[in-house]
Amino acid sequence: MTDQRAVRRIGSLPFQKMNEETLVVDPKTREVHLLNATASRVWELLARPQTVAELVGELGREFEAPEDTLRADVTALLGDLASKGLIDATDWQRDER
Amino acid sequence: MIPRDASQARCGDDEVVGLDSAAALIRTAQTWAHDNLVPFNVSLETTLECNIRCIHCYNFDRDEPRARRAACGADGATPEAPRLSTDELLRLIGELRDAGCMFLSLTGGEVLTHPDLFALLERARDLNMAVQLLTNGTLLRPGVAGRLARFPNLLGASVSLYGATAAAHDGITQVTGSFQRTWDGVERLRAAGVAVRLKFIVMRQNAHETEAMMAMATARDFPYSVDLTITARHDGTNGSLQARIERPQLESLYRGPLRPLLPPGRRPPPPAATFNCNCARGNCAISATGEVYPCISVPWSAGNVRDQPFAEIWRSSPVFQRIRGLTLDDFPKCAPCPHRGHCTHDRGAAFNATGDYTGADPFVCETAALAHQLAQESSPDSSPDSSPDSSPDSSPARAPGTPATP
Repeated sequence: MTDQRAVRRIGSLPFQKMNEETLVVDPKTREVHLLNATASRVWELLARPQTVAELVGELGREFEAPEDTLRADVTALLGDLASKGLIDATDWQRDER
Repeated sequence: MIPRDASQARCGDDEVVGLDSAAALIRTAQTWAHDNLVPFNVSLETTLECNIRCIHCYNFDRDEPRARRAACGADGATPEAPRLSTDELLRLIGELRDAGCMFLSLTGGEVLTHPDLFALLERARDLNMAVQLLTNGTLLRPGVAGRLARFPNLLGASVSLYGATAAAHDGITQVTGSFQRTWDGVERLRAAGVAVRLKFIVMRQNAHETEAMMAMATARDFPYSVDLTITARHDGTNGSLQARIERPQLESLYRGPLRPLLPPGRRPPPPAATFNCNCARGNCAISATGEVYPCISVPWSAGNVRDQPFAEIWRSSPVFQRIRGLTLDDFPKCAPCPHRGHCTHDRGAAFNATGDYTGADPFVCETAALAHQLAQESSPDSSPDSSPDSSPDSSPARAPGTPATP
């Protein structure tokens, strides 16, 4: 995941905010994911395409954390979400054309 | 419905198709909804139209002439109670999402007779809601199954089955060929990649095929649940009760093919604080005419979405406030019952039998007593269970959503 590549959540996935956490259901894989508070906030932001830099910038305004730490955490989180098929860059790029 | 763990009172309305591998997480979410009064699971009756005429239908007697049904308002055909239009349904789905609904069960009647079903699915998809269909499967033609499969928010379908043979099934639906068409539809759904759960409704007319139904599902590798409860109809008639299994059949099933579904051995009754199910807390249902019910089995209207916003009904209707305030002591038959730990506490059966949400349906009571008796017979310690009021604090916490699938 690079700073320049924008990603967004898969737009059609069912989800529900549960207090600070978010339940995400993927009917196709029949898997259910529970995102913690930080991941939930990223999930909200990913309603629109975001680069790592944009996410880090936004989270930096909301949380008191060193930028390097945020960048590492966001990169790891996006990698995890991507491995689970919950976010996608390709669709966005196609949609934007 | 037979709960795997009878201490977990439930009515089946929070059952989710296709997510069995995540059952624990779903239970956590259902409990969150229960505790926070979020209408997480909503059953939406999209239509009362149906292409089969099941003898046990809880909506109304489908053998009655339409004119007579309309006269008594039984099918919502009276001018006073028109069915929700597609526009109203689309708007309502948005209201449900705003209120916190994530799992939307679309039912009927037969949901596939709704002319704008795909528009409803699109609306739910656009709002990130997961949808499951409750259907008889007979209208799942190849094009329909394929089109359904393209909805990324479709969890799956719960398909009702009434026998292991065409003779039994078609006898109950009163439509020749429906058994084959249901199986064709089920197989088409699976071939298209849609999760299917079979729902066996066991009745007097098909009880002898219960074991064969279960074997058929297993052989074809379909998950299934078994439901023994037939209720009186929502129109106030009770001809459906003629289909209820009889005591000898029930005992034969519990001693035979359904025995593995009953919890073995002694067990304490559920704690009083966890007696109620998820109805009006994490679940509700909306009829084809807009009435909001605590669940699809309990036609006790909390209000109509044509008269009030859904959120207002959910939050402040006297009916829902009453249900939420009930304690075990408000259930006069259930509170002292020694069989409480083995009971489904089916509120739909109770309400339709007595008109009282806190009442008791003798059939449900008899079923619980039998389950209790069998549990004691199978216990290494055959001494009587503890009294209902001696439940220890260590009893299992309430966890709605336990699959009834063996």
